[in-house]
Amino acid sequence: MTDFDAIVVGSGMSGGWSAKELAERGLKVLVLERGSEIVPERDFTDQVPPWKQPNLDRIAQDEVSKHYYKQYPGVSYAVKETTKHLWVKDDEHPYEEAEGTRYDWLRGYHTGGRSIMWARQSYRLGPQDFEANKLDGHGVDWPVRYEDISKWYDHVETFAGISGSRDGLSQLPDGQFQPAFDLTCAEKEFKARVETRFPGRNVIPARVAHITKATEEQKSLGRTNCQVRNRCQHGCTFKAYFSSNNATLPAAMRTDNCTVIHNAIVKSVEYDPETKRVTGVNVVDSKTNETFFYSSKIIFLNASAIATAMILMQSKSEAFPNGLANSSDQVGRNLMDHVSGANARGLISGFENKTIFGRRPGGIYIPRYANITENDKPYLRGFGFQGTAVPVGNGRGQTAGIGKDFKESHGTPGPWQVGISAFGEQLPNPNNRVTLHPSKTDKWGNPIAVFNVKFSDNEHTMLQEARKDAIAMLEAAGCTNVNAAPVDLTAPGNRIHEMGSARMGRDPATSVLNGCNQAHDIPNLFVTDGAFMTSAACQNPSLSYMAFSARAANYAADLLAAGDL
Amino acid sequence: MKTRREVLQGMIVSIGGASMLTAYGGIAAVVPSDQLQDSRFYSADELALVSRLADLIIPRTDTPGALDVNVPGFLDSLMADWASADTQKTHHEYLTQITSGLSSSFVTLPDGAAIPLLEKFDTAAYSGRGEHSGYRALKGLITQAYFASEDGALQEQEWVAIPGRWDPCVEIT
Repeated sequence: MTDFDAIVVGSGMSGGWSAKELAERGLKVLVLERGSEIVPERDFTDQVPPWKQPNLDRIAQDEVSKHYYKQYPGVSYAVKETTKHLWVKDDEHPYEEAEGTRYDWLRGYHTGGRSIMWARQSYRLGPQDFEANKLDGHGVDWPVRYEDISKWYDHVETFAGISGSRDGLSQLPDGQFQPAFDLTCAEKEFKARVETRFPGRNVIPARVAHITKATEEQKSLGRTNCQVRNRCQHGCTFKAYFSSNNATLPAAMRTDNCTVIHNAIVKSVEYDPETKRVTGVNVVDSKTNETFFYSSKIIFLNASAIATAMILMQSKSEAFPNGLANSSDQVGRNLMDHVSGANARGLISGFENKTIFGRRPGGIYIPRYANITENDKPYLRGFGFQGTAVPVGNGRGQTAGIGKDFKESHGTPGPWQVGISAFGEQLPNPNNRVTLHPSKTDKWGNPIAVFNVKFSDNEHTMLQEARKDAIAMLEAAGCTNVNAAPVDLTAPGNRIHEMGSARMGRDPATSVLNGCNQAHDIPNLFVTDGAFMTSAACQNPSLSYMAFSARAANYAADLLAAGDL
Repeated sequence: MKTRREVLQGMIVSIGGASMLTAYGGIAAVVPSDQLQDSRFYSADELALVSRLADLIIPRTDTPGALDVNVPGFLDSLMADWASADTQKTHHEYLTQITSGLSSSFVTLPDGAAIPLLEKFDTAAYSGRGEHSGYRALKGLITQAYFASEDGALQEQEWVAIPGRWDPCVEIT
């Protein structure tokens, strides 16, 4: 007899989905969250107006130096005085980088994890993404194809609420969308000019996980339409954007099958060599240092790509001396992120008598065209652009003038500016890895992470070309004052899309998981956070984590019901 | 004869009736000028300079001005509570630079003399020649502090807490 049917390690983007699907299938589920409990009514700060935010919402500089020296430089637009409780203190959660490398490990430990702070961009992977590794030989072949996951994208989009337009693009398949946030008049013009000049390229509204036409299911969870406030980084008391806190965890809890325990850091997963099954997890309470063991029939690791790999590596036994489910030696390897650092902006005329109302959550998206509709590229794979065309604001006072005219100039919209920024695919590489430090531990006695990740020539070349493309598109659109800073690649990890550290594959000798997110070595162990990703594609990955989590949870429930676990 | 400090204090109160250095970000409440010594960061001279600049850059119009919403007090708190020792030192240096760049008697000049002087200084600061970086930094803080105040956000900028809808193309009439 086990304590629970299933244990889900982590309550974030993917863990919430694992918990919801397993609980809705009738399993008794325990969710273990290493961080503290978030109570939205208490901890979301989206209703705090600007004049109630101390010090322009800036964290004191000495406090940044002491506690947020990785988080703040990594994601300064979101780490604020009124949101700092959503980000880890670096001095309490240290890690190391191999000499000559940098890694930004940006994260929050609390209910819902980074599903509270994510950028909410939600795109399906396309058929080409599942075939990419096989085609060019980087990484191993995905054991699934787009057709295998398509209906699960439908499933998670319908529940989560994704706003977007149906664009009919094969590389970025349409889904179950709620109405898109329409393009601005300048974006429509930009779209028309770019698509005329570059017939293989498209400019579409960003697809974002914001409700614009709430369904009955969403209303039943207390969720409502996006209020267009752009307060998302503070949490959303309207529950309008998807997060575990707003959507999946409440759905799991209302089944009465789900228990969440906070401050529960998983140290290791127990393995029984006789049954060849995992039996439960060892946990340390972060507040009391008490240790616990919880048993279950199946275990889902959703701790995030890096933490999941670390838990596996910490779970050593005679049967798995290199770490649990790691007979392939691929755990911790192939760590990927997306890469940015190629941007361009310019002014677009013709809209001087127009402005916008509301602060929408997304802008425009230019789906990948490189090596899809254009095949003349000096690099493999490709990138998408995210951007906007909106009136330039003047909130920071950096224009000439004093007095009444200067004061009132802030109330009149400035010229319209187009800005686009590339998000490129990083190739899988087994030498890009996270390992456990041989001696240093955190205050709970767990080894700290050591990162050794570098971008390859392909990523460098790709971003140089992306910058040229960005300039060409802005010029084709008739922009003036086109400005594109020299390419400056973001640090690995900085896009907060870490993935690949326990990859799926067809061969147990070269991959950790099979095509159902199930460990090759251990049938009742599943990994459905970003660790499973066999390649990174260039789309923001959360929607894929959701879809694969839901699929794996239902597969596991089927196996359990059939007595196959 | 009044001391220089008394002249400045009287001037500040007469300009805006603003409280100096009450709680940051709050709506101005008129307090006696002798509370100026509650300054936690600025010296009296610095406070007078910041106040004069704030008033000239964002004056009271049909909406409250920078002094009405206590921008100098806000910046005093910002520097005391937010800024590191390095930033504090730099900020003091900026004020010294501004004083020497304008005129040591700038804060006592009447509007008719102060405005043309500051306009010329401001034009040079934004000429792209990299001049007066300290002034640009202070002007940025004054502006941000003003629009982060309740009156600045709601009355001047017409900030809407809950737009509730997205209109991607609004005709300006």
